[in-house]
Amino acid sequence: MRPELNRRSFVALAAATPLLAACGGAARQKAGTNSRAGLQAALPSHVPSSPVKPDIPSVAGGAGAATDPAFLSYPSNQAATVQGTPGRGGSYTAVTPLWGTVPPAGNSFYEAMNKALGVTLTMKPADGNNYNTIVPTMTAARRLPDWIQLPTWWNAIFDVGGLAGTQLADLTPYLAADKIKKYPNLAAIPTGAWQTGAWGDKLYGIPSFSSSFVIAGAVFHRRDILEARGITAGQVRSADDLMNLGKELTDAKRGVWAFDDVWTYLFPAWDVPLTWDVRDGRLIHKYEMPQFFEALDWHHRMARAGYLHPDAVAGQNANADTRFYSGKVLISGGGTGAWNLTDHQSGTAADKDYRRGAFDFFAADGTSAPRVAMGPSTNVISYLSDRLKPDQIEELLAVADYLAAPFGSAEYTMVNFGVEGVHFTMKDGVPTATEDGKKFVQAMTFPFLASPPAVISNPGAGVVTRDYAAWQAANVKSLYKPVFWNMNISMPRSLSGASAAQAVEDAVKDCYHGRTKVSEVQAAVSTWKTSGGGDRLKQWMTGNVLDKYGTGQ
Amino acid sequence: MVVPAIVLLLVFNYAPLFGLLTAFQYYDPPAGVWNSDWAGFDQFRLLFADPLFWGALRNTLYLGLVQLVLFFPIPIALALLLNSVLSVRVRNFIQSVVYLPHFFSWVLVITIFQQMLGGAGALNQFLRSHDLQTWDITTNPGTFVLLVTSQVVWKEAGWGIVVFLAALSAVNPGLYEAAAVDGAGPFRRMWHITLPGLRTVIVLMLVLRLGGTLSVGFEQFLIQRDAVGHETAEVLDTYAFYYGITTGDYSLGAAAGLFKSVISLLLIWGANKLAHFFGEDGLYRR
Repeated sequence: MRPELNRRSFVALAAATPLLAACGGAARQKAGTNSRAGLQAALPSHVPSSPVKPDIPSVAGGAGAATDPAFLSYPSNQAATVQGTPGRGGSYTAVTPLWGTVPPAGNSFYEAMNKALGVTLTMKPADGNNYNTIVPTMTAARRLPDWIQLPTWWNAIFDVGGLAGTQLADLTPYLAADKIKKYPNLAAIPTGAWQTGAWGDKLYGIPSFSSSFVIAGAVFHRRDILEARGITAGQVRSADDLMNLGKELTDAKRGVWAFDDVWTYLFPAWDVPLTWDVRDGRLIHKYEMPQFFEALDWHHRMARAGYLHPDAVAGQNANADTRFYSGKVLISGGGTGAWNLTDHQSGTAADKDYRRGAFDFFAADGTSAPRVAMGPSTNVISYLSDRLKPDQIEELLAVADYLAAPFGSAEYTMVNFGVEGVHFTMKDGVPTATEDGKKFVQAMTFPFLASPPAVISNPGAGVVTRDYAAWQAANVKSLYKPVFWNMNISMPRSLSGASAAQAVEDAVKDCYHGRTKVSEVQAAVSTWKTSGGGDRLKQWMTGNVLDKYGTGQ
Repeated sequence: MVVPAIVLLLVFNYAPLFGLLTAFQYYDPPAGVWNSDWAGFDQFRLLFADPLFWGALRNTLYLGLVQLVLFFPIPIALALLLNSVLSVRVRNFIQSVVYLPHFFSWVLVITIFQQMLGGAGALNQFLRSHDLQTWDITTNPGTFVLLVTSQVVWKEAGWGIVVFLAALSAVNPGLYEAAAVDGAGPFRRMWHITLPGLRTVIVLMLVLRLGGTLSVGFEQFLIQRDAVGHETAEVLDTYAFYYGITTGDYSLGAAAGLFKSVISLLLIWGANKLAHFFGEDGLYRR
C-alpha cells in the first residue's frame, strides 16, 4: 500500500499550477465564480464528529488554518458508523487517477468492498500521469463514468465549470444545508472543502482528504545527517543562512550536493504569492513583483555556486527520492504528503538512521514574519454523472457516506486496509498489510471517491507522526488565506495559455537551474504581458472576478 | 490476409485525420467538434506570430538535418562490416548486441547516459576524484545536438541495419566470386558490387528519412528539455505538447501538428522527385 503517494503528487502538482487549479470553464459558459449569497444557500451544514480522540489534537492557527489531528496508535475497538449496507444492489462504474501499479480487476478486495457497500462498483483506476489526456476524450464523447475523480489542478483543462450541470450531476438538492444530515460522515467534512466542488452557486463535488493545513509544500532535509553534524533546522532563519548551509553541506568529490530543486517550495519565503495578490485595491501578478526576481536571483546564485545536484539541473527528477534516501542530496523540496509511512520505510531501507525533517517557514530577509499561502481545502474532488436517476444519486451518496467514515471506524479500516486476516493482520496493534493487501488495497481507489478529513497516522512509525505533527503545529501560525482562496473561477479557454504562461515558466526553470540570467526572465515576462496575453488575463481577472466578487478572503 | 492491416490503417491512420478539423476551430472538448466555434485560419495566424514556434521549427530542422548527416551512413557501414564477418556465430553475437538498445525506452537510454556522462555520473566523479576539470556533457546547450545524435546512434543504429542486411543477402554471390577471380580486392568488390546492389534501398531509405526529418522524436526531447532549456531542445512535437495539450489549447496544437505534416509531405515529395530526376526508383518506380 502507498497510502500517501497520491497526496504527495497532487500537492506538488497543485503547487506547480496554482492558477490552473483556480480556474476552469469555457467561453461558451458563463465565466466568473460563485457569488457569496448563492454559495451560502448551496453549501451543506457542518456537523463535526470525532469518535476517536486523537493523541495529538489539532492546533488552530490564523485565518482558519489548523493542523491535522494525529494518531500514534490504531484503535483496537473499531466502531461502526453506518447501519447495514448503504447500497441497494445498483451497478456503477468509477474512474480515479492512480500513480502506481493498477490492481487487477475483480480482485478479492474489490469484491469484499462491493459486499460491504451493497453495490457493484466497478473500479477503473487510470494512469495518473496521463489522466489529463484521458478525461478530455471521455468528456468530448460524453462518456463520463457514473462516478469520476477530477483533481482540482486540472479544473481548467477538464473545463469542470462547463461540465457542471451539462455532464456532472447537481448535488445541491441532496446535500444543501441540513439535507446532508442524512449522511453523517459526509456532514463531518468541513464546509470549505465542499466549496472547492461548487460551481455557478451549485454543489457538484464530493471532497476527499480535506484539510485545514493544505500548502504547496515544504523544504525538507535529512534530519539524521544534519543533526549528526550538530546542525538543527531552527538555525536556518534566513535565505543567507540556507545558502551558507548549502556551502557547508556540498561535497561534490564525495558525490554529495546540498540541494535538489527547491524553487516551488522556497519562493514564498520572499513573500511571493502563488499567483495573485491585491495591493492598494489593485490586482498584481507575482511576475510583476520585485521580490519574485529576488527569489529567482537567490536560486540562480545557489545553482551557479554548484550546490544543486547535477541530476536536478539535468531535469532528472524521477530518481530524486533515491538521491535523498541515499544521502547524495540533503535538502529537497516537496509536498507535505511525502512525510509518511511509505517514505519512512523506503528511507530506512536505504539508511537505517533515515529521518525526514523540514525547515520551519522563514522570511528571506530573516526579520519579517514568514507568510505561507494556504491552498484550497482539498485537491481531490469526485463528481457523479448527470445521467444518473435521483434514486441512483442517493444510493451513491450513501456509498460516499460509507467511504467518508472517520479514522479508526470499522468502515475506515475496511476501506483503507481491507479484510482482517485476508488483506491485513494486526501486529502489536498495527494493521499490517499481507501480500494480497499490498497488491489489491490502494489508497487511490475508493478514498479518491470520498474520504474523511485528513489525519496524520503512520501505524508502526510513531516518529513520523510526531515529527510531522510538531512541524505543522510550529508553522500553522504562518499560514494565510491568499486572494481568491477556494474560489472556483471559470475562465474563457482563450486565456488558458496566458494563465499557464509556459514560456515564462520555462525561463524561470532555466534561471533557477543557473543557465540563464534573471534579466532573461524579466524579458520573458515583458513578452508574456504584451503578446502572451498576460495583460489581458489581468484585465479579465480584475473585471470579472475582483470587481464583482472581491478577493474571497 | 491484408484485411487486418487495411483495417488497422483505416482505424488508426485515416480515421483520426478527421481530427484535423480542430485546427480550424476554437475546439472545446465538452462542446465537441460539431459545436465548437470555427476559427478559420486564426490558429495558424497565432502560430506563425509566435516566436517560440519558429524557434521550435528551427531546432527541429537543425536537429533533423544533423541527425540525417551523422546517423544515416552508420547503419550502412555497420551492415557492410557485419556482412564481411564470416563466422556466423560471431556475426549473430554482434548483431544481437547492437540490436539490443533499440528495445530500451528513451527514459532508460537517457538515464544511462546521465549515469555515465552526467554531472554526477561515472565520468565526472572519476575526474573529480583525481582533481581534474569536470566535463559538462548532458547540460551543455552548445553540444546538445551531438549528445542527442549519439543517443540515437547508440539506440537505433543496430536496428537500422536490418533492411540493409536483407538487401545485402539479395546480392548474387556469383558476382563476388567472378570479381575475385578477376583479381578485385575487397575494397573494389565493395565499391563495384555491394554498394550498387544496395543503391536502390539506400535511396528509398533516404527519401523516407527526409520525409521524417521533422519527426526528430518526442520523448527524447521531452525528457531532456529541462537539461538544456527550451531554447535548445524545443522541437515541433514538444511545442505542440506544451502549448497545445498541457494548456488545453488543443486547436493550436493541432495546427502545429498539421503544419508539420504538410512540410513533411513536401519534403518527401521533393526528395522523391529528386530521386526520379537522378534516375533512381525513389518510393516507387515511375
